[in-house]
Amino acid sequence: MSKIQTKSTRVAFAEALSEVGRSNSKVVTIAADSQSRHGEFVREFPERSFNVGIAEQTMIGVASGFALSGYIPVVTSYANFLAFRAIEQIRVDVATESLNVKMVGTDTGFSSQWLGFTHLALEDMAAISALPNIVIIDPADAVEAFEATKAIFDYDGPVYMRIRGRKEEPILPIKSRKFEIGKAQVLKPGKDILIIACGSSVYDSLQAAEILKDKNIDAMVVNMATIRPIDEKALSDLIPSFTKVITVECHNIRGGLGSTIAEFISERGINTQLLRMGVKERFGMAGSDEMLKQAFSLDGPGIARSAEKFLNEKCGR
Amino acid sequence: MNIDSVKLKSLEKLAEQIRKDSIWMSTRAGTGHLGPALSISDIIAVLYGEIMKYNPKNPSWPDRDRFILSKGHGCLALYSALAQCGYFDRALLKEFCNRLDTMLPGHPERKLPGVEANTGSLGHGIAIGMGMAMAGKLANKDYRVFVITGDGELQEGSNWEAAMAAAHHKLDNLVVIVDRNKLQLGDFTENISQLEPLAKKWDSFGWAVKVIDGHNIKEITDVLSSIPLTRGKPSAIIASTIKSKGLKFAENKVEWHYKVLTEQQYKEIKDELSLEELAYE
Ligand SMILES: Cc1ncc(C[n+]2csc(CCOP(=O)(O)OP(=O)(O)O)c2C)c(N)n1
Ligand SMILES: [Mg+2]
Repeated sequence: MSKIQTKSTRVAFAEALSEVGRSNSKVVTIAADSQSRHGEFVREFPERSFNVGIAEQTMIGVASGFALSGYIPVVTSYANFLAFRAIEQIRVDVATESLNVKMVGTDTGFSSQWLGFTHLALEDMAAISALPNIVIIDPADAVEAFEATKAIFDYDGPVYMRIRGRKEEPILPIKSRKFEIGKAQVLKPGKDILIIACGSSVYDSLQAAEILKDKNIDAMVVNMATIRPIDEKALSDLIPSFTKVITVECHNIRGGLGSTIAEFISERGINTQLLRMGVKERFGMAGSDEMLKQAFSLDGPGIARSAEKFLNEKCGR
Repeated sequence: MNIDSVKLKSLEKLAEQIRKDSIWMSTRAGTGHLGPALSISDIIAVLYGEIMKYNPKNPSWPDRDRFILSKGHGCLALYSALAQCGYFDRALLKEFCNRLDTMLPGHPERKLPGVEANTGSLGHGIAIGMGMAMAGKLANKDYRVFVITGDGELQEGSNWEAAMAAAHHKLDNLVVIVDRNKLQLGDFTENISQLEPLAKKWDSFGWAVKVIDGHNIKEITDVLSSIPLTRGKPSAIIASTIKSKGLKFAENKVEWHYKVLTEQQYKEIKDELSLEELAYE
């Protein structure tokens, strides 16, 4: 790979938000203290920017009130304080009525790093996916975060998008950057094994594919930025050609991408074996992004190692 | 109570060391909530140096007073106090945000001796403390429970649910100390969601209230020595503080919520504040 560009998903989200705010006067932002997540929007549209204080449940309630009054509210918070602290407000106020509320959880996966398990968001998709009606998006990089932010405002209904921190992350070296909710994208063709990833794991999966190439393993890599609704068409086109499929996510293997793919494969009766990579039966812990990815075997080399081992395992059919 | 000047000196020293350690740990780690730790250093020093009964060799001693740092992001100060009081070796302070799965992460966890509750998600501490206070009464124990909350933190509704119920249950063994530094993450509290009149709020919830200078060791000691302020009522102490207290250029500045010194800045103030060598290994 040539020189890689980098950018933070949080910055990209804020930039897109300002753009959306300029073309749609119904968009309002509601913060629970940390308004900086809304970037320039707050300075450009102070009259449409609100802060309820450190009160995430109230933030969701207020957003619901705005939505019921014809506005399109955007709320942000550290993902755990949104997806867990305010889950009942999300369930009763937002999800039941499919209100047009855009919920953006920040600092997800390992990106809150040293802040420890209270902040590491590794079960947020599980909480949200237990509730009907909410679209779930985990963008791969800053460009996708930007495009996805614009796309969710063209969609009428509740969305949960998980982004990461201020840290600059690699931008994927791919050309076509059109984002459509519910559309998977094949980033690298391959025939030996299928790797389906979301969020920052997409980049690491591409790295893994490079490593595997040197071992004569030809891995296909798919970016599944939308976890719900899952791209059933892509899955039924792709999965049957593989005997081994891997999902990779910076999230618990329950309730996120891995679970969704497991359900799809078993319900369709597709004859393939699945390995779900992610965090298993434990909470997060303090560490740098790199340390944590390595510890959970979710960095490029870790994914490649697991893929190779998985390929060599006999399938228990 | 009148504390003698020797005791006063030793508490001031304890507080000063908490500040030095907080600055040292966070600079070494390159991360941490420094301002929030510096604003509670004096209160923590008085609690651990004078007020609370505990046994560092037996952190789960049933009769110990309990301390909960509900504003868990202020943990630098707690870590230093626990080390100074003998809960663990000072060498462990090097681990602050410096090792995978460290005992000293960016928010306190119970795996570290002396930490009573996992905090970091704001608005949990008062209710947990209330449960401990109720358990104490149930078991006929006379321990007290001290909870430090942020002032911005009080915007979380859960605090007020617990406040109402704790007064109802007449928990005069429960003490909440509000770190009233007037700043939260993004701005001054009164610019985001007004807290004042804060003392009146606690009073109207049925608590005995006292407003003090949270950097005056003698005043803190005096008020914490007269708990419960009123029999049959939980006590709320609103401590006026300055965020980043002791770091002149950072005092009362919002950006020092989650910010640490550069090595260069550390070197510049090292002699003035008689700080330790950073000593990376
Ligand atoms: C439930 C929850 N929401 C948001 C945060 C993020 N957060 C961490 S500290 C902070 C500000 C706290 O302000 P205050 O209570 O005044 O404490 P201070 O920073 O002054 O010590 C916020 C919003 C959090 N940790 N928990
Ligand atoms: Mg404060």
